[in-house]
Amino acid sequence: MATTVSTKSVDLSTIFPDAVIADERKGYTGWLVEKDNLIEIATYVREELDYDLLSSVTGVDYLPEEKMEVVYQVYKTTGGPGLFFKVQIPREDPMEIPSVINIWPGADLQEREIWDLYGIKFPGHPDLRRILTWEGFEGHPMRKDWQEPFYEEETKPFKSRWPKGEHIHAEEINPYHDNLKFPPKFNPENWTPTDPEEALYTSLKKFTTKNEDGLEAEQIIVNMGPQHPSTHGVFRAVVVLDGEKVVSLKPVMGYLHRNHEKIGERNTYLHNMPYTDRLDYFNSMANNWAYALAVEKLMGIEVTERSEYIRVIMSELTRIQNHLVWVGIFLNDLGAVVTPLLYAFEERELILDIFEEVSGARMMCNYYRFGGVVRDMPVRAFEKLKQLVYDRLPGKIEEFERLLSENEILLSRVKGIGYLSAKDAIATSMTGPMLRASGVPYDIRRAEPYGIYDRFDFDVVTRPECDLYARYHVRIEEMHQSLRILEQAVSTIPEGPILPKKPVYQVRVPAGEAYGRIESPKGELGFYVISNGKPNPWRYHVRAPSFINITALEKMCVGEKIADFVAILGAIDIVLGELDR
Amino acid sequence: MDWTLWLELVIKALVLIFALLGGFAYLTWYERRLLARFQSRLGPNRAGPFGLLQPIADAVKLIFKEELTPAKAYKLVFFLAPIMTLVPSVIIAAVIPWGPPFQLGDRIVTQSIADINVGVLFLMSIASIAVYGIVLAGWSSNNKYAMLGGLRSAAQMISYELTLGLAFVVAILLGNSMNLTDIVEAQRDGRWFVLVQPVGALILWIATLAEVNRHPFDMPEAEQELTAGYHTEYSGMKFALFFMAEYQKMIVVSAILATLFFGGYLGPWVDRWPLLGPVYMFLKIVILLFIMIWVRATWPRIRYDRLMAFGWKVLLPLALAVVMITAVGILLAEINPWMIWLIPIFSLIAGAFASLMIDRSLRRKAYA
Amino acid sequence: MLLEYLAIAVLIVLATVVALIAIGLGGLFGPKKKTVNKSMPYESGMMPIGPGTRRMPVRYYLIGVLFILFDIEVVFFLPWAIVFRQLGWFGLIEMVVFVAILLVGYVYAWKKGALEWE
Repeated sequence: MATTVSTKSVDLSTIFPDAVIADERKGYTGWLVEKDNLIEIATYVREELDYDLLSSVTGVDYLPEEKMEVVYQVYKTTGGPGLFFKVQIPREDPMEIPSVINIWPGADLQEREIWDLYGIKFPGHPDLRRILTWEGFEGHPMRKDWQEPFYEEETKPFKSRWPKGEHIHAEEINPYHDNLKFPPKFNPENWTPTDPEEALYTSLKKFTTKNEDGLEAEQIIVNMGPQHPSTHGVFRAVVVLDGEKVVSLKPVMGYLHRNHEKIGERNTYLHNMPYTDRLDYFNSMANNWAYALAVEKLMGIEVTERSEYIRVIMSELTRIQNHLVWVGIFLNDLGAVVTPLLYAFEERELILDIFEEVSGARMMCNYYRFGGVVRDMPVRAFEKLKQLVYDRLPGKIEEFERLLSENEILLSRVKGIGYLSAKDAIATSMTGPMLRASGVPYDIRRAEPYGIYDRFDFDVVTRPECDLYARYHVRIEEMHQSLRILEQAVSTIPEGPILPKKPVYQVRVPAGEAYGRIESPKGELGFYVISNGKPNPWRYHVRAPSFINITALEKMCVGEKIADFVAILGAIDIVLGELDR
Repeated sequence: MDWTLWLELVIKALVLIFALLGGFAYLTWYERRLLARFQSRLGPNRAGPFGLLQPIADAVKLIFKEELTPAKAYKLVFFLAPIMTLVPSVIIAAVIPWGPPFQLGDRIVTQSIADINVGVLFLMSIASIAVYGIVLAGWSSNNKYAMLGGLRSAAQMISYELTLGLAFVVAILLGNSMNLTDIVEAQRDGRWFVLVQPVGALILWIATLAEVNRHPFDMPEAEQELTAGYHTEYSGMKFALFFMAEYQKMIVVSAILATLFFGGYLGPWVDRWPLLGPVYMFLKIVILLFIMIWVRATWPRIRYDRLMAFGWKVLLPLALAVVMITAVGILLAEINPWMIWLIPIFSLIAGAFASLMIDRSLRRKAYA
Repeated sequence: MLLEYLAIAVLIVLATVVALIAIGLGGLFGPKKKTVNKSMPYESGMMPIGPGTRRMPVRYYLIGVLFILFDIEVVFFLPWAIVFRQLGWFGLIEMVVFVAILLVGYVYAWKKGALEWE
């Protein structure tokens, strides 16, 4: 079967000579697939070639060519490079591409996002509603001809901000309150929403449960979020409850949506670096790396040796502090007031001290540059780092384990809860600790090594249990592995330059496409960047792990208790900045 | 009826009410400071020395808060619910003896509001009444979280009431009376019932935790699930009354536990200076409260179905067994006084067996 | 003895008065600016669907019925515990018989699944 086909040389165009041609635009790779043959080819790719993980689906608007394109990026959970294939359709409504949700259920939320932002319909998708904007939003904002209110220009820097060679803030042109316009006689204080979100509520399966005696139980639709203490921000889930049991559930998001990708396409390449910090604000160091990776691929430049080591160090420190805080917040979700969280924060502050010393900021680091990092690590930070890695953190992580791992109440809350089999986890495109907790040893640091991860000795942590207990343990164990990597990196880091050449504000990026992906603490974080040779990216897409890991939420929650919903959601480890983008 | 009697009644009632109010205020301070210590923080420390004026500042803030009533709430019930929650939490303390009687002028003053001969029965009945306020608050708010929280707490409180009642029976058996003063007097010379029946004391403690909705049994207001549970819609002083009731109940159940199993007001020289009685009670209550707060700072919350299963399948049979063991032990002790120590031995065996069963059921459920 | 109950009555009255004063203080000093949105029931900031008060799951009634059954048992225990020392072994055996009968019901309820919270 699939084993006969080498991963390097999958030639789709010889297998489907009529329907597939190689993508031969300059700088592009992959295959162009006929729309009508998409399902057939996708099934072949999934079943025969074993590309079981749909990493990312996204749209691209080629306005000058009058074309709309949908890009599918699929990988194997056994490792190796991915397979890209694209469907192009003429850019005129209605645009329709068959849904691949039956082949890769992980396409669910991503296809909804494409419908929302690009207006491409996916016949066959069971629940194609808007996802990041609201029902009734006018237009599809990622289209190149869509313009927001107070539109100025297609790309930054906006000329209106430099009228006399001096900088002017946007707020001075449009003062606050002037950018809000209400219909006459409209008072937001007295306004009650009238639209009860019909589409959403009808999409929740309506059925009644009867118990043995034929008594009919009444179900309650409850909104958990957006203003709820345990949904980690403004995430919202509409839950149908039968007593305490979850019967059905739909995630609703977009309350923090700011169209990050559109902003990204307006910015220049370097402009975007600090914007990536704001995605998953816990892991700005990881976000920087994924973006830098994509742009470096486009530019075809090498990263200096010392910078590679610094990148690994920063990325693993980020992983440790993310997992530490995750453990704390997870315990908080289970109802343990905030004691574990504050213990976690104590260690996290020490790691942030190092971030502050190298980059100047504790959370929004903006530290990576194309080809390296922005400045060298100070000697004092390095000393602190060594002290942390060798002396403090190992003991503290063990302390966490000692305090929590054997607690009877904790065990009774996590064992057997939120089951997600390996098959389902792969199908719904789960990545990161979520996937590994289902027993799939898939870690991009090993599956498709980036940076210099191939030089380090560490284990990919998996657990066979597929439940919350496994997700807890995978993260604890990953911290130990990160420490192992850190010890190796700290002891072997070479001296040398930080950047390959003099830093410039305006980088020259040749035309083409690139997908840079890393193993962020939350899962696979990918940046899909298309350049047309101009100073701004033509397409800038974020494959956010928080967003795609939500796909399996309903599957995990149905049949569990309402209290478990909170824990299961917590175990996914979402950050709303990344989820809503 | 002479006027001095009326005066005594009113004064004692007022002293109790204000002692509980003050206790409530400083219990919040105590809890916040303690929790902060557990979490390597400092806690409130700005208002007054050591933050001691913090409760007053909080009260003033709550007084000046707007009180909201949801549009479709049952207004009268919504208004009455907090009162119905607060009042039982005060009057349940009426039968607790705070110290031995003392001479004042020519009259003997008892250090309790009412020294009735069915004291334990009174405790049980008032504990049952307390559930009304919470259920009605949840029901009248016209809010789903509140209703679920109210229902949860109703089911939880009545489930643990059985265990509570059986734990009381243990104390009655040992004290051979329902009068709380008699029960305390039976514990003279350091024969605290907790030594004779440690498992009974533990059961009572767990059941009271569940009764007052304290961690890890604070289901009705499980913040992570039901926002604030039954008092979601309450604000301002009405909310304060719920808060007050909860903390007063904490104090009162600690007092009950101290009275029934930890020797009540008894302590060195209490007979010579009867006013030492309240001091000993205070110390014992503070220690028991400390344990409650410690638990809160440390443990995650038990899930609701597990909590009900724990109450019905573990605590209830265990409490029954403990009652029976106690009864047999008392009869055997009439033959030979040393046989009384068979009670703790066999109770501990029963307790160990129960925890073994929990452990086994957890293991079984683990990977279903 | 009645005097003691009078004391409790006085306490009830005074406690109610204190509660009323507390609520009154809030009503006196708190601001009162009603708006439509403010008086909406809170459901994480969304419009609630359906009424907030409705039929509750059968499970809760079941717990209620079980409670009444076993609470009577506990009530029966109380007088027994008082006169226990006078009754001696006879009383103990009688109680064992009573508990045994109840346990049959308890085991039945358990096996029937009434104690499961599914």
